[in-house]
Amino acid sequence: MSELATLARPYAVAVFKRAKETDSAKTWSKNLAFLAAVLSDKSISGVIDDPKIGKSALSTLLLDICEGQLDQEGSNFLKLLIENNRLSLIVAIATIFETYKAEDEGSIDVDVSTAFAFTKESKQSFNATLEKAFGKKINMKIAVDSSLIGGVLVRAGDQVIDGSVRGQLQQLAQRL
Amino acid sequence: MQLNPSEISDLIKKKIENFDLSTQVHTEGTVVSVTDGIVRVHGLSQAMQGEMLEFPGNTFGMALNLERDSVGAVVLGSYQHISEGDTVKCTGKILEVPVGEALLGRVVDALGNPIDAKGVIDTTEFSPIEKIAPGVIARQSVEEPVQLGLKSIDAMIPVGRGQRELIIGDRQTGKTAIAIDAIINQKGTGIKCIYVAIGQKRSSIANVVRKLEEHDALAHTIIVVASASESAALQFIAPYTGCTMGEYFRDKGEDALIIYDDLTKQAWAYRQVSLLLRRPPGREAYPGDVFYLHSRLLERASRINAAEVEKLTGGKVKGKTGSLTALPIIETQGGDVSAFVPTNVISITDGQIFLESNLFNSGIRPAVNAGLSVSRVGGAAQTKIIKKLGGGTRLDLAQYRELAAFAQFASDLDESTRKQIERGQRVTELMKQNQYSPMSVAQMAVSLFAANEGFLDTVEVNKVLNFEAALQSYMKSEHTELMANINATGDFNNDISTGIRSAIETFVKTHSW
Repeated sequence: MSELATLARPYAVAVFKRAKETDSAKTWSKNLAFLAAVLSDKSISGVIDDPKIGKSALSTLLLDICEGQLDQEGSNFLKLLIENNRLSLIVAIATIFETYKAEDEGSIDVDVSTAFAFTKESKQSFNATLEKAFGKKINMKIAVDSSLIGGVLVRAGDQVIDGSVRGQLQQLAQRL
Repeated sequence: MQLNPSEISDLIKKKIENFDLSTQVHTEGTVVSVTDGIVRVHGLSQAMQGEMLEFPGNTFGMALNLERDSVGAVVLGSYQHISEGDTVKCTGKILEVPVGEALLGRVVDALGNPIDAKGVIDTTEFSPIEKIAPGVIARQSVEEPVQLGLKSIDAMIPVGRGQRELIIGDRQTGKTAIAIDAIINQKGTGIKCIYVAIGQKRSSIANVVRKLEEHDALAHTIIVVASASESAALQFIAPYTGCTMGEYFRDKGEDALIIYDDLTKQAWAYRQVSLLLRRPPGREAYPGDVFYLHSRLLERASRINAAEVEKLTGGKVKGKTGSLTALPIIETQGGDVSAFVPTNVISITDGQIFLESNLFNSGIRPAVNAGLSVSRVGGAAQTKIIKKLGGGTRLDLAQYRELAAFAQFASDLDESTRKQIERGQRVTELMKQNQYSPMSVAQMAVSLFAANEGFLDTVEVNKVLNFEAALQSYMKSEHTELMANINATGDFNNDISTGIRSAIETFVKTHSW
């Protein structure tokens, strides 16, 4: 995982810089998401690893599949990846690109697990609290997880804010 | 410690009452791979170097490699239950161990957990295992002795409080024996001892503990164990753990003595950890920072001045200096002191006690090579009387070594040469000492005086030790006051000199041996 990130970072950085230059972050985001979706398809991933299919054949095949979905720069990027044998990195590149994009926009992806579903008001006030805490716009993804027993667990990247009853019980167990 | 059930539930109740429910904020990562106790963790972008990491199953690790996308950590303890995908939490703390008086008389592992079945260690104080050594302003020069109780060492290679004196030699040359004698001799002196056993057999460690118990020396001793069966990570941190426990005494104005037995094995453990972390190997496959591994450890052994003690204790202890004396042990292979780790540690320490296997095998025990052993700062700390009397011994032995080759042509030699050889033989014989029988300053002074003043010259070489034993028991029974006086002051003046002389003269006339 970490090795992939190391390899993918230069590509992601390059794409992000290009996107900033041409002010096309949204298009790139779509391009990358589409490519990631295509390449994680099982039938395609079999083809990519097939040593019998040459680079040029592979590039025609993939460009055909992506016909109409990719712009000129997007297809160039795809060709570059094929040329460098780095097609497998596309998912990692997309993830890193998205984090750069989010950082640039001043927003942050937050996964919230809660024991009980939020009401509309509580969700709004919770969102406001998180925005204050992180100082950024919050893209909240909410999941209901009854194993928390009560409270919420917030995950933003590496950071975890554990305000759940389960976490408190674990703390207590450790103290005893 | 036996607890009845109601007490246990009371305890638990109290703990629950005092338990503050706080929201935990921490950073998390995921285990990517586990290889031989080395864990790679993805994430943990906030981790510090040396930070304690929490793995599932109440296991802890230490972050050693901080890379761009991952963290390399060692697991402290067993790692069989950790698997790919497990969550790892940052604790925000550098690895800490318990410190305090309560540890004295106990046997603990490298994390400070008791392993002697004597119950929990009642201490609330914790201290990080890696600390920066005291600075130059905080230090004071070495001027008080640590008596190891061995004639050959205290007379010729004295150790001062706060000194680092290396004990180096091949296997089976009595390195540990010197260390154990040193601990036994600290009984009643107020010097607390810490014995750190690294990579040793559990049976030998059990032996050491038993011997210390037998000689009533465990009460002032902490034993830190990272045996050969424990993970390399624990063997690597054990010396730092022991050092932290010793620093506790130093920082409150007391004296402590720490023995690292042995640092060669620690270097091996560190080499293993480093290679598994894929750090580049250097000479003898040790990593580049193996010198720093030992230098930062031994720098922490020091003598600190009264002002620093006052500052560290918050003004509670005034006018007292603190010291931590270190006796690191290094095992050489085939007497090769020019190997990587031995040369490193020789250059770091303030002198070395060099033990030789051929001396050991020819019956000279402790097998100290008086020519190669030195103490760079201990001279300033030596008791006056031993300094005065020991100087002659050193000279006698040095001259003897020059002439020893001619010993077999004794009949062809001139009078003065023959005398020197004979004196040398007797002094060499006198330097022998049994294990577990450390001597007091006065006892040493009497023996050295007898040798210096030529009382031994008429004694047959193989009777020297008998002569000494008889003389010691005579002095003990007939001249208690004189001996007590020497032990108390350590001075050497005309009164004491004539006192000892007349006592020995009477002994020679009236006793047989």
